[in-house]
Amino acid sequence: MLMGSVRNEPAGEPTFEPMIQIDMEIKTFVSAWKHCDYVSTYMAWMISQNRSDSVRHSNLFSSAFNELLEVAFRTRHADGELACRVSRHGATDRIELTIPCVPEERQFYQEAVSQVAGVEAKERYLNSVSGDLAPSREIVLLELAVDYNATLRVEEAESDAIKLVVDLPLEGLQH
Amino acid sequence: MSPYNLLPRFKAQYDANNQEFSMSGVVRPQAIDELGPSLALLRDAIGRVRGVLYINVRRLTQMNNAAFHAFSRVIIDACRAIPDLKFVVITSSVVGWTSRKFGRLNGIEPNITVEEYDSKFYPGQGFLEEGGFVPILRTQTKMTWRHERTILPRHGMRPGIAMADICCGIGDFAVLVQKEFQPSRIVALDHSISSLDYARRVMREFDIRGIEYTYGDASEMLLDEAQFDLVTCRHSLQIFNRPELILKELYRICKPGGRVYITNEKNSHCLGEPRAESIRWTYNEVAKLFAHFEMDVELGPKSRRYLIEAGFEDIRVETFMVTNMDGDPQDFADVIVAWADVYAGDMATRRGDGPEFVARFRQGFQDHIFAALHPKGYAGWPIWVASGRRPQ
Repeated sequence: MLMGSVRNEPAGEPTFEPMIQIDMEIKTFVSAWKHCDYVSTYMAWMISQNRSDSVRHSNLFSSAFNELLEVAFRTRHADGELACRVSRHGATDRIELTIPCVPEERQFYQEAVSQVAGVEAKERYLNSVSGDLAPSREIVLLELAVDYNATLRVEEAESDAIKLVVDLPLEGLQH
Repeated sequence: MSPYNLLPRFKAQYDANNQEFSMSGVVRPQAIDELGPSLALLRDAIGRVRGVLYINVRRLTQMNNAAFHAFSRVIIDACRAIPDLKFVVITSSVVGWTSRKFGRLNGIEPNITVEEYDSKFYPGQGFLEEGGFVPILRTQTKMTWRHERTILPRHGMRPGIAMADICCGIGDFAVLVQKEFQPSRIVALDHSISSLDYARRVMREFDIRGIEYTYGDASEMLLDEAQFDLVTCRHSLQIFNRPELILKELYRICKPGGRVYITNEKNSHCLGEPRAESIRWTYNEVAKLFAHFEMDVELGPKSRRYLIEAGFEDIRVETFMVTNMDGDPQDFADVIVAWADVYAGDMATRRGDGPEFVARFRQGFQDHIFAALHPKGYAGWPIWVASGRRPQ
């Protein structure tokens, strides 16, 4: 079931070919902040080898993916499994992050993702940079859309979890 | 545990001479407290400078939003408190996210601007990477390869190694190496997007596999340390105004015990018979012309010194002469025609040379072609090969 979609996928959505998946107990994942760095760096390196510029692609992908993992790190759900799956269609890489979450968090993700699509997204992002508060999870998702041309949507996953689907067209990002 | 133990790869420093605050490495803190000393250093720098503070993030490979926000806030606050102070953020086009992310700051405070550093670093490369030069680069590689394929094994080339070809240009050397020596891995890096596009097209069309073409600045590469058994950098140190910076990077990515292999020219030693005098005069002028654009095409015999000063040991140097007797003399002549077009054309014009000089300058190239195609003639182009071992 599709929830809080930023962009309505056309009926004939292209097939994304799976590339790599890492699953971790959420308890293990949140036991050390550096897991975000390790997982994003490792997966970026693995999936970038056959990109036209592997080093540059890996740097960009790691940068974007790390932000997503840092968002997931803040989950308040104590049990369950974090699943990170990357698949590819042409120039676009898709990250599917399944995160255990409590009902309030589910609502947060739905609202945050729907706001990413707003026309004033860039303005809100700039306001946040010049604001006093450290970037919220919503702003981090917004930044992915503003700086990486990402599209985001939320899908219902199995019990007590949501799936965040982020499409990153990094091959097309200009130098 | 000190927060810095968690961020061993991140470094922030301030250079008072250049009014430059630099950050490098990876900075992905969980909490802003971890950045305390670096933020204090930035605030301190802001308090000391007048006019402009450069924020150098060329080697900042990763920074999460939490850190970006923390550093940006200090800069934005300073803009508001000190309206006369300007900030110039120096990014690298190689680190894809930096220009986009830091570029947003200009929309918040006009006193914050972003400059991409790389284009300034390569003052002369534009002359040599325009599309028309590609066929000539291929011919040059074909001529030098006849010699290098036998020379390379004396400098560490062997099957199964991991190698990098830095400043790979159109990538044809990497392809030849792969066919001849079958390394287990080749990373080929260049700063010219058009050259890399060409290299990738060739790779696709010829179904070549195993070469990773990557965009990058040879003086500040994203490649990890100590990962290659052999690092090659051909005909390139001589067209950079600061070759020692490139050598430092070649050293860094080379494994201890591995070798760095460089080739360079000494253009004033190009020669020919008959018409030796005219040829000699022109190639002496070629060296002066390149020097005008901060390129040293006389670097070849200086290779030993450069390698020693960069910290290499077991230095090996040899020379070879590409001549009109290697294969088809017309290939040699074609290369000279292309040199004449660029050197006596665009480059001489940009230096402001008059028609009399250009005519004499061109004549020397004509005479070199004459010597190359003459049935009893001899024309030569000398190359210096040098390599050094990174100490264990």
